[in-house]
Amino acid sequence: MSEKIAALIAAVEEDMTLEEVRKALGDGADPLSLVEALREGMAVVGDKYEAREYFLPDLILSAEIFKESIALIEPHLQSGNTTTKGAVVIGTVHGDIHDIGKNIVATMLKCNGYDVHDLGVDVPPQVFVEKASSTQAGLVAMSGLLTLAFDAMKDTVDALAEAGLRDKAKVIIGGGPVNEKVLEYCGADAFGKDPAEAVRLANRYLA
Amino acid sequence: MLHPGDTMTSEERLQAVINLQVPDRVPSCPFIYYFSAFYAGISVHELWSQPGKYRLAMDRCYRDLGPWDVYYPVNPLRPELYTFIMPMKAKWPGIDLPPDSICQLLEEEIMKAEDYRWISELAQRIPKLTYIPFFMRMISRAWDDIGEDPRGYAFILSRLVAHLANWRYEFELMKKRGVTTLYGFLPEAAFDTFSLARGFLEFARDLKKRPEEIAAAADDLTEGYLFICRLVCFLMGIKRIEIFVHRSSTDFISPETFRKLSLPSLKALVEKLVAAGIAPILHCDGNWDMNLEALRELPAGHCVIQFDGPTDIFLAKQVIGDRVCIMGDVPSDILALGSPMEVDEYCHRLIEEVGRGGGYIMGAGCEIPPNARAENVKAMLDSVTKYGYYDREG
Repeated sequence: MSEKIAALIAAVEEDMTLEEVRKALGDGADPLSLVEALREGMAVVGDKYEAREYFLPDLILSAEIFKESIALIEPHLQSGNTTTKGAVVIGTVHGDIHDIGKNIVATMLKCNGYDVHDLGVDVPPQVFVEKASSTQAGLVAMSGLLTLAFDAMKDTVDALAEAGLRDKAKVIIGGGPVNEKVLEYCGADAFGKDPAEAVRLANRYLA
Repeated sequence: MLHPGDTMTSEERLQAVINLQVPDRVPSCPFIYYFSAFYAGISVHELWSQPGKYRLAMDRCYRDLGPWDVYYPVNPLRPELYTFIMPMKAKWPGIDLPPDSICQLLEEEIMKAEDYRWISELAQRIPKLTYIPFFMRMISRAWDDIGEDPRGYAFILSRLVAHLANWRYEFELMKKRGVTTLYGFLPEAAFDTFSLARGFLEFARDLKKRPEEIAAAADDLTEGYLFICRLVCFLMGIKRIEIFVHRSSTDFISPETFRKLSLPSLKALVEKLVAAGIAPILHCDGNWDMNLEALRELPAGHCVIQFDGPTDIFLAKQVIGDRVCIMGDVPSDILALGSPMEVDEYCHRLIEEVGRGGGYIMGAGCEIPPNARAENVKAMLDSVTKYGYYDREG
C-alpha cells in the first residue's frame, strides 16, 4: 500500500493519492509508514524536476497533495513520535508578498524531515530574528522576487547578526533575481535557484 | 535626430530593426516605471495617481539619463485598468500599501474552472467581442466595487477611453522630442491570462485535468484579441502591440505544454496581427532557452521579442536572430547592484553579439528595477551611441 501511495504522488495524481491514503488509514496502516511513503514519492518528484522531466505545475501540485495527505494522516499520529532533522525558519522578506516559490521550498523541506516554521510573506527582519531565536533554528531561508527584496534580505541578515544569531543559524536566500552578486550584497551563506537546491543546502547545514 | 551621428529618426530606426534590417545604430528602449518615481523623489502613489507627476518624473529621467529612442508606456491611468494586463487581485501603494512601495499581485483565484467553457460559448455567439466581457468578469472579481453589469461596463470603458486619450497626449509629447512609442496597447496572452487569473495552484490542476478546455478557450479568445488590438491601433495611430507572455517560460511550464497549449493561440494571434499590418512585441519573462526553437514558428521579420534576464539572450540571437528582432536584457541585479563599468561591458557585449547585423533593441531584462543606480541606467542608455553605430559599408 505504501509503495502505491509513493508511486501515485510521484505521478502527481491528486485524487488517487488522497483516496489511497484514506483507504490505508481506514485499514489501520501505520501512519508513519504513510508519511514515509509520501516522502519517497516527493523525492521522486524532486529528482524528476531536477532532470527537467517535471516542471513547476508538477512541483506545486505534488506539494499540495503532500500537504493534503499529511492533513489526513496527522490526527492519527501520536504527538512526539516523529523526529526532525532540525528547525528551519522560512519567509518572504519585508516588502514582498510573492509566495509560490517560498511555499514549495517550505513543503519540500517538510517532506525531507525538517521542522519548518513558515512566517508567510512581507516578514520584517525582527520577526525572522524572534522566530529563529525561539525555535533555535539552524537555518533561516529567505525568499524574494523583487529587486527591492535585496535590501530587506540584507537588513534581515544584519538583524540576525545584531541579535547574536549569525553563528547559530546559516542563512540561505532564493527567488527569481537572486544570484551570486545578491548573495554577496546581503551577506547570506548561500543561495538556491530551485527547491531541490534549498533541500541540498539544508542537508549540508543541518543534517 | 537625437544624436549628432544619427541618420535615421527613432521611428525609422525601430522599423528597421523590427524588419531585421541594419539601422544607423542600435535603438534604445528602457522599460521605466517605478524607477522614475524613486529617481524623481515622488511616491509611487503619486506616480500612478497623478499623470502630471508621472510625466515630470519621466521628463527628469529623460533629461538626466537619456535621451532614448523608444518610449515604453506602462502607466495605467486607473489601477483597475491594470487588471487587463495582470488579471489578478493586487495591492496598490497608497491604497493597501505604503505610498513608496510597489504594486504587488496576489496569487488568488479570480477565474473559475467553468469560465473556460463560458469563454468558448461566448466566442460562439460574439467571436469578435469576447475580450471586453471576459476582462470585465475578471475585473469585477478583482475589484469588489465594480460589478459585471452595465454600470461596471460604463465605469471601465470610460476609464479605458480616458486612459487612451492620456496616452495619445503623452505619445505626442514624446514625438515632439524625437522619441517614438513602442506600442499602443498591451494585452496579456490568453494562456498566460488564465495562468494568472486562476492562481497557479488551480492552473496546475487545470493542466492536469482539463488541458483541452484551456487550449480551446485560449484559441476562442483570438478573434476578440485581434478585434481589440486592431481597434486600439487605429485609435492610437501606432501599429504595434505588446503581448505579455508572463507564464509560458520553462520557469512555469514544460516545453511540451508550451507547444501544445500556449503556442497555438499565441501564434494564431501573432500571425493575424502581422496579416493586419501590426507588429507584435512579445514580452517574454523567465527562461525561454528550451522554447527558442519553437519561437521560430513565428512569422519572420515582423516581431520583437523582449527577453528577461534568465534567458540566454546570446543563445537566442543564434537560434532565432534571423527570424525576430531581439530586445533586452540588461539584468536587474547589475542595474541595482553593479557598477557603471559592469553595465557598460555587458551592453558592449549585447551590441557586439546580439546587435550584429541589426535586429536588436537595447533594453533592460523586463523593467529597470526601482532601486537601479541612476549612473547604471545612464551607462546602459549611453552604450548605444558609444558602441551602437553600424558601419553601413560593412
